[in-house]
Amino acid sequence: MKYIIGIITLLCICSTSKAQSYEDKRCKCICPSISSVTNSSETGHASRIMYITNVPPDMCNCDGVILPRIGKEIFGKEQEFCPRCECKYENRNTTIIKVVVIIVIWVISILVIYMAFLIILDPLLNKRIKGSYQEHTNEEDEISAAGPMSHHMSVRGNVLNRVGHQQDKWKRQVKEQRRNIYDRHTMLN
Amino acid sequence: MIDITTSNAGAGERTTRLGDDDDGASHYSVSYAGTQESADIPGIGQYEDFHTIDWQRDIARDRMRHRYIVKKKQDSFWSLIEGAHDAWSGWLCVLLVGLFTGAVAGVIDIGASWMTDLKFGICPQAFWLNQEQCCWSSNETSFDAGNCSQWLTWAEVLGQAKTGVGSYIISYLFYIVWALLFAALSASLVRMFAPYACGSGIPEIKTILSGFIIRGYLGKWTLIIKSVGLILSVSSGLSLGKEGPMVHIACAIGNILSYLFPKYGRNEAKKREILSASAAAGVSVAFGAPIGGVLFSLEEVSYYFPLKTLWRSFFCALIAASILRSINPFGNEHSVLFYVPYNKPWIFFELIPFIGLGIIGGVIATIFIKANLCWCRYRKHSKLGQYPVTEVLVITVVTAIIAYPNPYTRMNTSQLIYLLFSECGISNSDDLCDYDRNFTNVNSAIEIAAAGAGVHRAIWLLILALILKLIMTTFTFGMKVPCGLFIPSLCLGAIVGRIVGIGMEQLAYTYPTFWLFSGECSTGANCITPGLYAMVGAAAVLGGVTRMTVSLVVIMFELTGAVRYIVPLMAAAMASKWVGDALGRQGIYDAHIALNGYPFLDSKDEFQHTSLAADVMQPKRNETLSVITQDSMTVDDIEALLKETEHNGYPVVVSRESQYLVGFVLRRDLNLAIANAKRMVEGICGQSLVLFTTGNVPQTLGPPPLKLKKILDMAPITITDQTPMETVVDMFRKLGLRQTLVTHNGRLLGVITKKDVLRHIKQMDNEDPNSVLFN
Repeated sequence: MKYIIGIITLLCICSTSKAQSYEDKRCKCICPSISSVTNSSETGHASRIMYITNVPPDMCNCDGVILPRIGKEIFGKEQEFCPRCECKYENRNTTIIKVVVIIVIWVISILVIYMAFLIILDPLLNKRIKGSYQEHTNEEDEISAAGPMSHHMSVRGNVLNRVGHQQDKWKRQVKEQRRNIYDRHTMLN
Repeated sequence: MIDITTSNAGAGERTTRLGDDDDGASHYSVSYAGTQESADIPGIGQYEDFHTIDWQRDIARDRMRHRYIVKKKQDSFWSLIEGAHDAWSGWLCVLLVGLFTGAVAGVIDIGASWMTDLKFGICPQAFWLNQEQCCWSSNETSFDAGNCSQWLTWAEVLGQAKTGVGSYIISYLFYIVWALLFAALSASLVRMFAPYACGSGIPEIKTILSGFIIRGYLGKWTLIIKSVGLILSVSSGLSLGKEGPMVHIACAIGNILSYLFPKYGRNEAKKREILSASAAAGVSVAFGAPIGGVLFSLEEVSYYFPLKTLWRSFFCALIAASILRSINPFGNEHSVLFYVPYNKPWIFFELIPFIGLGIIGGVIATIFIKANLCWCRYRKHSKLGQYPVTEVLVITVVTAIIAYPNPYTRMNTSQLIYLLFSECGISNSDDLCDYDRNFTNVNSAIEIAAAGAGVHRAIWLLILALILKLIMTTFTFGMKVPCGLFIPSLCLGAIVGRIVGIGMEQLAYTYPTFWLFSGECSTGANCITPGLYAMVGAAAVLGGVTRMTVSLVVIMFELTGAVRYIVPLMAAAMASKWVGDALGRQGIYDAHIALNGYPFLDSKDEFQHTSLAADVMQPKRNETLSVITQDSMTVDDIEALLKETEHNGYPVVVSRESQYLVGFVLRRDLNLAIANAKRMVEGICGQSLVLFTTGNVPQTLGPPPLKLKKILDMAPITITDQTPMETVVDMFRKLGLRQTLVTHNGRLLGVITKKDVLRHIKQMDNEDPNSVLFN
């Protein structure tokens, strides 16, 4: 948890120091093409014009955005043109988006690395530690039930071992869940 | 109910002892008079995996604890603070749940929308932005979808032109590869770290809230993997949604946070109050509908829902929704992508097509439920179930290949719903809005107009999309990745609704003088809104699939923000529920509960058979009932009994001859107490008498007796053998019992457990009674 908060604050600092090339506020206006009111040749309804500016919310309307730009071309027809326009004021927070996406990438990569570790390296390591004395038991319950317990009793208190014990316990739980779902199909079908 | 006033004559002392308060890990338990051991037995009051909780016992335990705290309040200032903390800990807990749920939902929304667009291209200047955000402030004035220089499709990244055959093939390939990658990651993460994270989670949450224990189902790993896997599986373009799993995620958050407050963390019945509130928060963030969330929790998921929980759910949903709203994941000031504000009137006769949509919705929903159940049953019993990851990959590839050519299935399902819901305005340049409108007459609003070629094309594509989505969702729901079905079913309904809506609109355009339309449509105004039909259709299909009514209408109304559509939505939801109920009995969640055999006693069903308690109870004729006598069995006898039988609890009687009932003791408690006594109390051995009484101990020369009165439930619920099963089932439902004892003439005759009741119901309904999952 502390790490996550640390990462978040770090990212916040990073992102604020970088110049913001993406604005967080916009006023987006979409209007039909000017030809629709100037009685010139109809170019079809699909042609539209779009303006994106950064104006205060109360200025986000036809008068504030459209008329300063094309007022001359539609002079005298504002009353007809403006009701056709749709103006929308929107805001967002790119910092949050950035932080969240980076966190998501991090979490996924950590999980993938851990998964790769569990699939590839862990069997090798465990084989070395547990040695040959358990090879004759092929009942996987017995290994998982007896192995960590004796392990735990001998070196109690050692932090590393406790973590290892927790991990073993968790692995056993996941194995049980996997058996319920993937093998016996008793749940979550 | 368990009687707690333990003013027992024998002991005289009312020791309502609790665990040591300075010890954070103390276990509260119902203690009865005669407590002599100084240490509490650890683990009493907890349950094992796949067991049913005893609501009455847990609530009684909480009452004891509460009384103890109230009594201690006068003692010191510190106790006063402790009391105050205890009083507000429920509110504090739901506040935290709301905060975390909102935050997690924000992360999922942002992550999923970014990753979905990663299938199409990338924003090289700021890779963390999705397509819409990337083109947020582009300066191009011409308005065309996809015209934005900042956003590069994968074809452009590889140096191809924007359009053309080559770039289409490259985009197609990239789309499939990314989808495959995301789905593979999601499936393997789920398989590796948290198999419980797969599926929608709502059937299981329903079962858990009804008082079942599934250890690890709401744990930390499930939370992490479900959130990450949800982002991945939504982005992979599979036909699934993130709204249902959001309920599971919220409940996992509620469960984890409840451990911060022993009042809730250590009491399963109390914990379910927090979980109900969490479920409300889950729906609240999924749809941006706080009230809908509370009603969903009440109508669909919760089992035990007192008023206190209602207010807490309300508060929790409110907090979660406002947090998500402040994160503003979609940049539209709302917490869902497809929020569509609507304020158009509807005509009264439109109720007929709305009810028609309800009927169509019910039919589609029934087809979906039946097909999906068949497929899930096939998966359960055939070899297919052995290849969960392969199955996901195959379905993903098939979905991606079929979905890409059709623009309506290629886009994100939420976007499609938004498109279908929204009105045709100037900002909507989709084919769907390709009407032959006259833009020169600017005095009126957009008037009704003939459909152009684009609309016809769009309708054909939408019909294809409908068929594809229906088929793919059938195969997708139930796969071993996090997947919900709110969004797909909303989408199915929205497509049908939009098509019907366009049909109605064209009808009104072609025959403006027809008497039905003559009132409103004759002036040329746009009297029929296809978007509204899409909304009603969406509600109808979702209502048919889940059999929600009230909460669904409220959710839809919160999505549109217009009260005036409540009547159309109600009509459609009701029609769809009727049709659905007529064609198939169960909603999808109940059907999945039945498929998995979860021990869920539905409070909506009625028990209609005439059997008696004597027919259901265990033991059956010519079997013996295993009982424990109150003062004549030794530790060895009891251990032998525990070994021989597998019951989860044993009645305690005065003596074997008389069989007068004393109480009920649970197997788990008995095991723990004996193990604890052997460890802690000196002199306990196999020959020690086990006493469930408090009277004077007969002085014997043997080893000291083992007193177990405090683990004995002195007030088990009893019924007589002639009680009709209807009453018994009602008691199990309403009181949340785990078992009840059957007596005859005051003598103990047998036991009925929840499992017996469930099996009996299954047997009466001609189903396989052995399918009930139980320990």
